Amino acid sequence: MKAWAITSTNIKRLVRDPSTIFFVFIFPMLLILVLGASFGGGFTPKVGVLVQSDGAFAQAFADGIAENDEFESLDYDDAAVLLADVERGVVQLGVIIPADYDDALVAGSTAAVEYIGRLDQSSVQYRASIEAVASDQSAVVRAARVVESEGLADFESAVAAAQLVASGPGGSEVIVSTAGEALFGDIGQFDLGAPSNLVLFVFLTSLAGSAALIQTRRLGVSRRMVSTPTSIGQILIGETGGRFAIAMIQGLFIMVGAAIAFDVKWGNLLGAGTLLVLIALIGAGAGMLMGAIFDNDEQAGSMGVFIGLGFAALGGAMFPLEIFPDTMVTVAHITPHAWAIDGFAELIRRGGTLSTIATEVAVLSGFAVVMMALGTWRLRAKLTH
Amino acid sequence: MIICVKDDRQAKWNVMLMPSEAKGCNLNVLECSGLVKAFDELVAVDDVGFHIAEGETYGLLGPNGAGKTTTISMISGILESDAGRVMVAGKEITTRTTDGNAEIGYVPQDIAIYPDLTARENLRFFGKLYGIPKDRLGPRIDEVLEVIGLSDRGDDRTEEYSGGMKRRLNIGIGLLHEPSLLILDEPTVGVDPQSRNSILESVELLGQSGTAVLYTTHYMEEAERLCDRVAIIDGGKIRAEGTRRELVELVGQRDTVNLGVIGSAHRLVEDLRSVSEIQQITAAEGSVEILVDGASRVLPRILEVAQEAGVGISGVEVVEPNLESVFLHLTGKALRD
Repeated sequence: MKAWAITSTNIKRLVRDPSTIFFVFIFPMLLILVLGASFGGGFTPKVGVLVQSDGAFAQAFADGIAENDEFESLDYDDAAVLLADVERGVVQLGVIIPADYDDALVAGSTAAVEYIGRLDQSSVQYRASIEAVASDQSAVVRAARVVESEGLADFESAVAAAQLVASGPGGSEVIVSTAGEALFGDIGQFDLGAPSNLVLFVFLTSLAGSAALIQTRRLGVSRRMVSTPTSIGQILIGETGGRFAIAMIQGLFIMVGAAIAFDVKWGNLLGAGTLLVLIALIGAGAGMLMGAIFDNDEQAGSMGVFIGLGFAALGGAMFPLEIFPDTMVTVAHITPHAWAIDGFAELIRRGGTLSTIATEVAVLSGFAVVMMALGTWRLRAKLTH
Repeated sequence: MIICVKDDRQAKWNVMLMPSEAKGCNLNVLECSGLVKAFDELVAVDDVGFHIAEGETYGLLGPNGAGKTTTISMISGILESDAGRVMVAGKEITTRTTDGNAEIGYVPQDIAIYPDLTARENLRFFGKLYGIPKDRLGPRIDEVLEVIGLSDRGDDRTEEYSGGMKRRLNIGIGLLHEPSLLILDEPTVGVDPQSRNSILESVELLGQSGTAVLYTTHYMEEAERLCDRVAIIDGGKIRAEGTRRELVELVGQRDTVNLGVIGSAHRLVEDLRSVSEIQQITAAEGSVEILVDGASRVLPRILEVAQEAGVGISGVEVVEPNLESVFLHLTGKALRD
């Protein structure tokens, strides 16, 4: 119970600190939201459409764009505003249908639609979709033109008939099949960022939390604990428990919060829970080690952030390991981050179980044993010498 | 009875007075002997031993760096000793044992409390570590808050407290479990005069209530006021031990004459060496401290020597023997050196 008194006091002190509340609970969730919204699979490009013609063809073209699920269509009435919004990224592309669009088509001329895109790779992809709308409409107009030239119907009737035919069955279709595995599989918008942030923040908080341990030592509270009828072992268990509990609370909050708020599917719960426990143990051990090595809490806090972010970057918690060169992937696996992220990737993307992440669990267990042993050894020495 | 032990390394006499009768109580709460602690080449505590009886207040008087805190750290079971033994209420104290620690209330020199917890929460935390049963802890916390005068601020975070209030809470934590031995390490350092007096009064009451108190200080006045017996410690060794009267007798009837000088203090020191009644002279910037047998008799001669040396005297102060004088006599330096 004495160890629990130390553990619970650590937790109580954590939840009392407003800055800790922000960095432990709010900031990770914000980052998952921002990264998911920016780079997650659920991104829908916006297209600004300016229709300057009252004609039926112009409206049909605009409807063709609006009906395309790849885009979110926004109406504009000023070309300059549309251009400015494309430049600022408010919309990813703009389409201007000119005033003489219908006249040109009826007269048998080429009707030009203005496409405004940005100078990046995605612009090519978007342009192909707009060209497909134009191509569909061109096919209808050409068919109607043939009917009219054969004297079978006037142009308007021929267009109506051609549209009816175009919307019906028949014609050619491209059927897509895939080989191999997609880089990030069929995952949700936030599924990639959530585990990375979980690993990053649990380690970061644990390392930065070493400052609290140093404060406890510097205040003389640790020495005072030793003077009570409480064994060094109980004090170490209490302090370790405090660090572990804080890491677990943060990890569980991110897991549950991301699942509820962002529909992140963590896969096999036993596997995900095991990974979380191991990450929390490694973080607690590392935090204790730093708390015992350093005597200055500000220095330890800064080093904790530096090491935490450095290992996160190296271990794939900031950028996916899949985009790393082979050598860097090998180097990344000197960090527990890389093993933990590998484990989560297996569970989330490939439906893995505890048995399929046995290697990751074994390596992380090794990290946990080493960090715990080092942390408790140095802290024991610091408390009694 | 006085025992003198020659310390060959420092060519000084370590004077040990045999235990005085302490308020008629003969039960020793603390017994320590042969304590040694070295940090690399530095021997911080060298063969220290003493005992404290029930209800006795025992002082460790010495300057900063004398070895007081290291000694009480070993007695409290915080620091592993290189040699020696500590027994509190019949139980051995080491860093590996915990039984005897329940008998000790340790009040460190640092204010060892959590600033982001309230006084009540700090007391509850340490009460749990001291193993106070849950049903007794709440009422005991109320009692301690009352004793240290923080009842109305017990639910405030201690970071909002004044320095004196923090000091009082620091002491209150040591009292929480009603220990047999209370160890106070320089409890009045950095405290305002009002809080200081309050702390000293509390210690006096503790002694009267039967608690054995080990009190370290470098303030001679505190040691004289509070302590039944005092050990003078310097360089990690106990130089002398006894009641105030016994210690002062070591210096004989010597008085201290403090002279404020205008001119060369060192010239005056040289000339005063010819005065046979003078036992010791210490010169500092603008002042000379002289240890003499019978100041009233020798003072005219001292002033005469000063006049002959052409040294002006700006002030004269005669101090009768006290623990400061004893310390000076035994160590050749002032307590605040």
